[in-house]
Amino acid sequence: MSTNLESRAPAAAGAPSPRKLLPRLVTGQEIVLIGIITVLWILLGFLTPAFLTPGSILPLLVAVAPIALVGVGMTFVIITAGIDVSVGAALMVCAVITAQTMVATGVPLVPAVLLSITVGALLGLVNGLLVAYGKIHAIIITFGTANIFLFIGLRLFGSSTVNGVPGTFDVFGRGAAGRTLGIPHSFAITLIVVAIAWWYLRHAASGRHLFAIGGNANAARLAGIKVKPLVLMTYVVTGALVGLAACFVIAQGTSTLDQSVGVGRELSVIAAVVIGGTSILGGRGSVLGTLLGAILVQTVTSGVTQLGWPSQLSDLFVGAAIIAAVGTDIVRERARRKS
Amino acid sequence: MSEHTTTPRIAMRGISKNYGGVRAIRQADLTVQPGTVHALVGENGAGKSTLIKILAGAEQPDTGTIEFDGKPVSITSTTDAIRLGVQTVYQEPQLFPDLSITENIFVGREIKRGARVDWAAQAAQIQELLDMIGLPQKLATAPVGDLSIAQQQQVSIAKAVAGEASILILDEPSAILTDAEIKVLFSIVRKLTERGVAVIYISHRLDELFEIADTVTVMRDGQTLDTYDIQDLTVTKIAELMVGGILTEQREPRSFHDVAPTLELHNIDVGALLRGINLQIRPGEILGLYGLLGSGVAEIAETVYGMKQPTGGHMLYRGKPMVNKGPAAARRRGITLVPANRSAQGVFSFQSIRFNISIGDLAKLSPLKGWVSKRRERDIALDLIKRLGVKTPNENQPISAMSGGNAQKVVIARQLLSTPKLLVLAEPTQGVDVGAKEEIHRLIGQLAESGTAVLVVTTDLAEVLRISDRVLVVREGSIAAEFGPTATQVDILAAASGAVTTRKAS
Repeated sequence: MSTNLESRAPAAAGAPSPRKLLPRLVTGQEIVLIGIITVLWILLGFLTPAFLTPGSILPLLVAVAPIALVGVGMTFVIITAGIDVSVGAALMVCAVITAQTMVATGVPLVPAVLLSITVGALLGLVNGLLVAYGKIHAIIITFGTANIFLFIGLRLFGSSTVNGVPGTFDVFGRGAAGRTLGIPHSFAITLIVVAIAWWYLRHAASGRHLFAIGGNANAARLAGIKVKPLVLMTYVVTGALVGLAACFVIAQGTSTLDQSVGVGRELSVIAAVVIGGTSILGGRGSVLGTLLGAILVQTVTSGVTQLGWPSQLSDLFVGAAIIAAVGTDIVRERARRKS
Repeated sequence: MSEHTTTPRIAMRGISKNYGGVRAIRQADLTVQPGTVHALVGENGAGKSTLIKILAGAEQPDTGTIEFDGKPVSITSTTDAIRLGVQTVYQEPQLFPDLSITENIFVGREIKRGARVDWAAQAAQIQELLDMIGLPQKLATAPVGDLSIAQQQQVSIAKAVAGEASILILDEPSAILTDAEIKVLFSIVRKLTERGVAVIYISHRLDELFEIADTVTVMRDGQTLDTYDIQDLTVTKIAELMVGGILTEQREPRSFHDVAPTLELHNIDVGALLRGINLQIRPGEILGLYGLLGSGVAEIAETVYGMKQPTGGHMLYRGKPMVNKGPAAARRRGITLVPANRSAQGVFSFQSIRFNISIGDLAKLSPLKGWVSKRRERDIALDLIKRLGVKTPNENQPISAMSGGNAQKVVIARQLLSTPKLLVLAEPTQGVDVGAKEEIHRLIGQLAESGTAVLVVTTDLAEVLRISDRVLVVREGSIAAEFGPTATQVDILAAASGAVTTRKAS
């Protein structure tokens, strides 16, 4: 994963070739991830022949979708050197409000999705306002709002589950209705969002500003970047994506939505982002890495299940991967400071 | 005032600024002509930074007017200043380590095609800039975090200039540079003045002003004294203006030759930072180390305290060879450091004053090891608070609620508790008011009386003379000169800033 450093050493003489004017297309960390995922899939293919079949890979991609989707927003947030640990609780609030509304009114697909996204964006707005304008560290703010969102979510549930959720969201589900030409809609939507976010972070001026804010917020302010509105935006985007992810989660479940929805999701999302090579210190990261990180996390989880190993082992593997990723990042940063 | 017939690029008149009760600057005037290098000099705390921050829009003045090219303007934010073309290169490069040079230079004013950054157009523009600042083209896409400090500073200047600078403020740009790098810097500055940019140049290295500056404004105690043409000045003259004549507040010479030194440094090297440092300090002696930022003076203190490892030479501590693996090892030997950056390294800001005093020597408070007697902790804290005249309602007040002076007294009080054999003090009175300064100096004297060898590292000229028995002046990683207590501030400042070119042959 240290390939970055080597390729960055100013070696070649002369003016930069046009290709090199851009930030690198794929970073070292992403190549390593693709390698690890490929090796894991081949290994799992040998160990459990059922693994490399559509019946196994497609559900895996469907399960990746909500994590990668929220991961896109989380990548924005972490690039600015923030974090949002409230996404799991926010997802619960979106899911319960949307499911209850569908049960009560039978609202059709598009308004239901918009409702969920709006609720999510509003929750993100609360986080964003507090983080950007409150000058308190994001982990404290979102830890606080996570508990408040959890309270709201559980109050909305009352003492019972939401029963008889209609199949409005089947188009995002695991079943045949959720696929076109074999490709799960939820995963395709996720890919589109990742592509847009990738372009935004790479080419849009305000996207580049997110990296500047995470690298040195004060210098960013001095350079005339509107730091607060941009930071606010990252939390609102994260919230909106949580809302969309909530629709996917409802679609993947049964017609009964219970109180466990969303619980602990923030951990898989942050794991995906960090494993994907986004620096927890801010200033560096990519949504492509996050997508790969989400696929890796889900591969480990599915693989452990399919091999019939104790499911706690997946926690162990994911934990080790997080430490390896963050460790590489910090070792790299120290090496740079010394030079 | 020197004579100019052109309209000044900037004219600041009657500027005053208070921070709380502290007057940072009062009635300061600064007039800068286009196409010239205007040096702004003064001791630390003279008000240079505040004046510059006001011009850059980072601070708002309480009184005063600013004219830009003859027209009155109000600068209420950094954006206002940038719009006028006021660009500042701060001492610490304000850059983004993970972005490339090109992106760093264009950040906040990207060339866009639609919402998209036009990389090709930016790359085309950057070439000329890189040529001007003397960086190779191949570095255009290198992440700034991988560059040397000098290169990062060149990038900062390029960034400032790319924004159509009409006034470029350079805040101690040479402090962190080597001689060869300074040459590059000067050639960049000259190219800019040829284009009509007004450059405000802040520096403590007075000798270099004669190479680069056209005019010099001297600040002292928050006031601008006057502006001079560089031809009318000498290093010694500037030093005199800065310190305000010769002060006669000096210690009586004391002799320490009859006691064995507490610490001896023999030919200590630390990488490229320090070369061949020799010094001795004896019990009860206060040795002042004076040097400009980047001179290596801070590194000497860090080496003694084990934060930096010598790469050559050896240290003797109380007659025996000493290798300090780290601060804990130094501590065990009875060496203590009171760091300059108190808020970051010196105090536990959320904790009470009581805690902050007793953390220095918990062992003394525990009848049994590992258990702190609350009562004894309190008694000792109250006693010290009284003895030091620390102004606080009670000993449970968090230290962060105190003024800088009082907080520093608490940190030094901590040392009184453990009476170290060797105390290293870095900038003991930085940012404290005059009254607290007196008391801190008295405290340091008391510690020395009780037999502690005190090494004071300071950039405060008056202070170093006032409290030291001897003063060593550090320049470019070596000891440049040694003075007794009868030296004047001008002698020391001149030695530190390069007027004295004689170096001890070793």
